[in-house]
Amino acid sequence: MERFFQYLFDGLSLGSIYALLALGLVVVFRGTGHLNFAQGEMAMICTFVVWQFNDWGVPLVLSIILGMIVGFALGAGVEATIIRGVAKKSQAGVFVVSIALFLGLNSLAAMIWGSLPPEQLPGLFPDEPDDFQRIFGAVWRYEYIGVLAVALVLMGLLFLLFAKTKFGLAMRAVASNPESARLAGIPTGIVLASSWGIAGAMGALSGTLWGGIVGELNAGLMFTVFIYASAAATLGGFDSPGGAVIAGLTIGVGEQFLAGYFPGWIGQEMKLSAALLTIFVVLLVKPSGLFGSTKVERV
Amino acid sequence: MLRIDEGSTRHWLLRLLGFAVITFIVVWVPTQMSSSRIGQFTDAFILMIAAMSLNLVLGFTGQISIGHSAFFGIGGYTAAILIKDHGWSPGYTFYAAAVVAFVVGCVVALPALRIRGIYLALVTLAVAVLFPTLVRWKKLAWLTDGSMGMDSVRYEDVPVWPILGELKGREGRAVFMFWLGLIVVVATYLVCRGIVKSRFGRALVAIRDNETAAAVMGVNLTTTKVLVFGVSAALCALGGVLSTLKSGVITPDGQYVTLLGSIVFLLVMIVGGAGTLWGPIIGGLVYVWLDNTTRDIGTSDSGILGTLFGWADQSPATLILGVVLVIIMFAAPYGLVGLAKRLSRKVVVIIPKPTPYGLFGAIRRALEKLFRSRSQPAGTSTPS
Repeated sequence: MERFFQYLFDGLSLGSIYALLALGLVVVFRGTGHLNFAQGEMAMICTFVVWQFNDWGVPLVLSIILGMIVGFALGAGVEATIIRGVAKKSQAGVFVVSIALFLGLNSLAAMIWGSLPPEQLPGLFPDEPDDFQRIFGAVWRYEYIGVLAVALVLMGLLFLLFAKTKFGLAMRAVASNPESARLAGIPTGIVLASSWGIAGAMGALSGTLWGGIVGELNAGLMFTVFIYASAAATLGGFDSPGGAVIAGLTIGVGEQFLAGYFPGWIGQEMKLSAALLTIFVVLLVKPSGLFGSTKVERV
Repeated sequence: MLRIDEGSTRHWLLRLLGFAVITFIVVWVPTQMSSSRIGQFTDAFILMIAAMSLNLVLGFTGQISIGHSAFFGIGGYTAAILIKDHGWSPGYTFYAAAVVAFVVGCVVALPALRIRGIYLALVTLAVAVLFPTLVRWKKLAWLTDGSMGMDSVRYEDVPVWPILGELKGREGRAVFMFWLGLIVVVATYLVCRGIVKSRFGRALVAIRDNETAAAVMGVNLTTTKVLVFGVSAALCALGGVLSTLKSGVITPDGQYVTLLGSIVFLLVMIVGGAGTLWGPIIGGLVYVWLDNTTRDIGTSDSGILGTLFGWADQSPATLILGVVLVIIMFAAPYGLVGLAKRLSRKVVVIIPKPTPYGLFGAIRRALEKLFRSRSQPAGTSTPS
């Protein structure tokens, strides 16, 4: 039972990080219908920015806010300058551009911060070896509790934004029908750019939280997290933010259980594959994810 | 603007000219260039094969796949295991790899029957992530040697082929791999061309354009999708075998075996031109050229780029590659072949022929008259 709670809790914390990045993917997909392959790398760059501000002496909380602003600017800027221009011409082009961004940002981070000794990103929460609480016999580290709390609070704010504000209404309008939205007087360009921006800001936060747990930053920081996040977005349904959160948490918990209870067959190195295979089976039963809307086809 | 009838003497002369230019390049490269250059062309061949195979699935059938690196790896590992553990002659492993990958490809196709679009992208991504971990998995180490990979998988002695004469040493091996690669590229191209121009190919395009409509028209979605995935996987495996034979090593982190391989194949295909026969070929050449050029730029300290990037500790090669890719996508959203087609249309227009000419045409017309008295023969559009 002690192990059960341990895996459950660790899984929830890690899953909340996947969920944050997945939420970014979903926001972008709902807005413009693209899978942003560079989401993870944008988050990675922002994490380095946070570290850089912190290294210059800015308090950590303030650096994280600055990093999220940079993330917002990066996302919105990329959408407005590059993605929109290419999307007008070809959809396959958007895919190439997002891969080009992935490669370019990765290389840029390695160029700027590559040769320094591995950066230690201080955790946002106390992470000394004895900073934990025992609940049901499981070790609940303050760091993990903090990650979970921050992620959940941000998700809550985001849902308020979607559901209760005029801007959220505009976003949903653009997602459901861009043409009509434009005719109704909604500035679609600004809305789309901001949805990319919001995704970028959330990426920055998930990167910082993940960087705090991992400790060392490098250019490959977010690659695995990105795969988990896209798996979460797929499992939840690519057009469902709620689905992304639930799926992200589920994947986080699921991989801990799989790796923990089957150390011989699955273990740490096979847990990603095992998680992906499970999702694969789920998709065979529900082809558009657990909470995604089924597309009605017309000939 | 020049107007040329399809099948006319001038059209044949134009085709002959194109063929002559390609033949000249193909003969000139291995005889005149340094062995490292020849090796780069072989790299381009490997990418061409993989991108052509991906093109069948994505460009023509519209089924996204980010899993082709797995097929590539299956090809490479089949070759390595057969050569190292079973003492096969390398040449035969091409066939074996194609068969193994065909079967795996058909199995991977099964989800594509139900899952579409972005969800299929993730399923195939799972395949790409799964393959290297499976290879590294300790329970399979008896077969794959785990994360160590397998080395010295190559021709012990370069076989003697009639025209090439005796090839010796490193240079001889490079020249030999060039010709071997060329043969596989041509074979892959012919298979793709045969498929695309056939009834099966029309079915693929119909599926891409509208699945429901295709099914209504009588296309068997299940068989067609499964077969095209199988064939595509088999072709991609050929690229894997070639790559393994060229470098002599294969590891789970090796070139094009991981997820990044799939991404490179996609880049090559889309940059060249998705859904065109020549797209992957042009894309492969351009990608390898870009890759090598940017790497050279990254190492030089002089010139504009040297000043621009002199502060950086790591090579800016990938960054420049990314920027160039974005520029290409702005200039040629339908790939380089799409751009070339659009530009050349301003100079030369090939007018499709109304009815088949020549002896075979006459026979075909007679048969068509016999069997299809009601309908007009296909392609009777008058030249405009």
